[in-house]
Amino acid sequence: MQNGRADMALIEIENLSVVFNAQGRQVRAVEGVSLSVGARESYGLVGESGSGKSTILRAICGLAPVSAGTIRIGGEVLRRDRAFAARVQMVFQDPYASLHPRHTLDRTLSEPLAIHGLGDADRRVVQALEQVGLPSSFRFRYPHQLSGGQRQRVAIARALMLEPEILLLDEPTSALDASVQAEVLNLLSRLRAERGLTFLMVSHDLAVVDHMCDRVLVMQHGRAVEELPRAALAAAQMQTAYARSLFEASADRML
Amino acid sequence: MTLLSVQNLRVTFDTEAGKVEAVRGVSFSLGRERLGIVGESGSGKTMTGRSVLRLIRPPGRIEADAMVFDGQDLMKLSERQMRALRGPRIAMVMQDPKYSLNPVMKVGAQLMEGLRQRDRLGAVAARAKAIAALEAVQIRDPERVMEAYPHELSGGMGQRVMIAMMLIPEPDLLIADEPTSALDVTVQAEVLSILDGLVRERGMGLIFISHDLRLVARFCDRVLVMYKGRVVEELAAGDLLHAKHPYTQGLLNCLPRIGGVRQPLPGLDRNAEWAR
Repeated sequence: MQNGRADMALIEIENLSVVFNAQGRQVRAVEGVSLSVGARESYGLVGESGSGKSTILRAICGLAPVSAGTIRIGGEVLRRDRAFAARVQMVFQDPYASLHPRHTLDRTLSEPLAIHGLGDADRRVVQALEQVGLPSSFRFRYPHQLSGGQRQRVAIARALMLEPEILLLDEPTSALDASVQAEVLNLLSRLRAERGLTFLMVSHDLAVVDHMCDRVLVMQHGRAVEELPRAALAAAQMQTAYARSLFEASADRML
Repeated sequence: MTLLSVQNLRVTFDTEAGKVEAVRGVSFSLGRERLGIVGESGSGKTMTGRSVLRLIRPPGRIEADAMVFDGQDLMKLSERQMRALRGPRIAMVMQDPKYSLNPVMKVGAQLMEGLRQRDRLGAVAARAKAIAALEAVQIRDPERVMEAYPHELSGGMGQRVMIAMMLIPEPDLLIADEPTSALDVTVQAEVLSILDGLVRERGMGLIFISHDLRLVARFCDRVLVMYKGRVVEELAAGDLLHAKHPYTQGLLNCLPRIGGVRQPLPGLDRNAEWAR
């Protein structure tokens, strides 16, 4: 592993399993996955739907039950309290579903501030909009008055309100047009550089992951298949047949 | 042989704020081939597809000098005659299985509905045909899927169910609106090869609407690039890398590529001149 000692890692996941009970049937969404992400690193999870990649992000946030294994953030076993929310935030796939339809952007963005008792909401909201490249005149708009790309910018702004270290990105651009995707990816890269963020990013698009991440974990059926540094991905040096088939299905991304 | 020829198609919405022209003079013709229509959201590509089926509700209206499908001018047909064409002759796969399948009806019932009502098949024959259709789109467990509700299916399965449904009456022309954008690359490849097989084996015509220029280039024979309701460039898929129009080039360049350089992706600069 190129990131050296495990105690350097900001996110450490060991033998994580997530099991859902569905009508008496056990569904093993994630089985024994381990990974570690260093501070300021950008780490990608790829695989087809149902491979458990989003479930890992959801387990970190407490949105999926951890059945076995441990998740550590900065060396500490995860406790999901307010301090956690201030360190780790998530951006969801569908900006049409992840924003409250009857809250203005102002309310959406100032809610985390109110919960955490942070003052100066006015300035912070305006600044947050500016950071993600939205005009401040949008402040009292509702989500339905925005395009998909603009909504995703709002979701990113909301995630950054508490100035977290870690952003969990669940397919942040797969609901967007190619040209808007480019804008959002550029925004994420810029914010990461400016704020020294650590990304854990899920995508099914190898080209997006390659563009954004330093290392990639390929997943299938809830298990880790292969971890690849970026150089090995670009040079097609994958060891497993599944990682290769994923790569070959993305052949039009090589043009 | 021309299956569909569209001349000077215009789609206009009369809104309170004035006229909005979604499609402004689009012309193209289609044989038994795969035609891609590419553009960003709002470029009018979906509206072009829906116009062919005359599926645009007021306040939207469709105008065209001619829209000839298999010898009949679609603009001149009655609503009743149009209904006879929709489905058996021209079918459309909508973008989102979540919103296009009936949420309170089992998949099997939805697949069999047309067969029973339109083709007057008995329950057993309709069921057999529905299962065969699911098998044709590579659904491994068709019996289970028949008994499932749409929310119990993944996006990829839902998309394949919709394709199966549209293909049951064996249409001559299939309009597929972003049929694979919600899917993973591996499933995407499967769905594309299903569509590809249908074009080859049945000689079906296909209009493939997508915002993903490279995907379209790999899959289609010919590509129309739309911008603000107009076709700005038409080219053979193989010539895509030699696209002349700056908008087409922009659409190509804004996609990240594997092993590409780590610099900001070029944004698409949109020139008002192109829309003229």
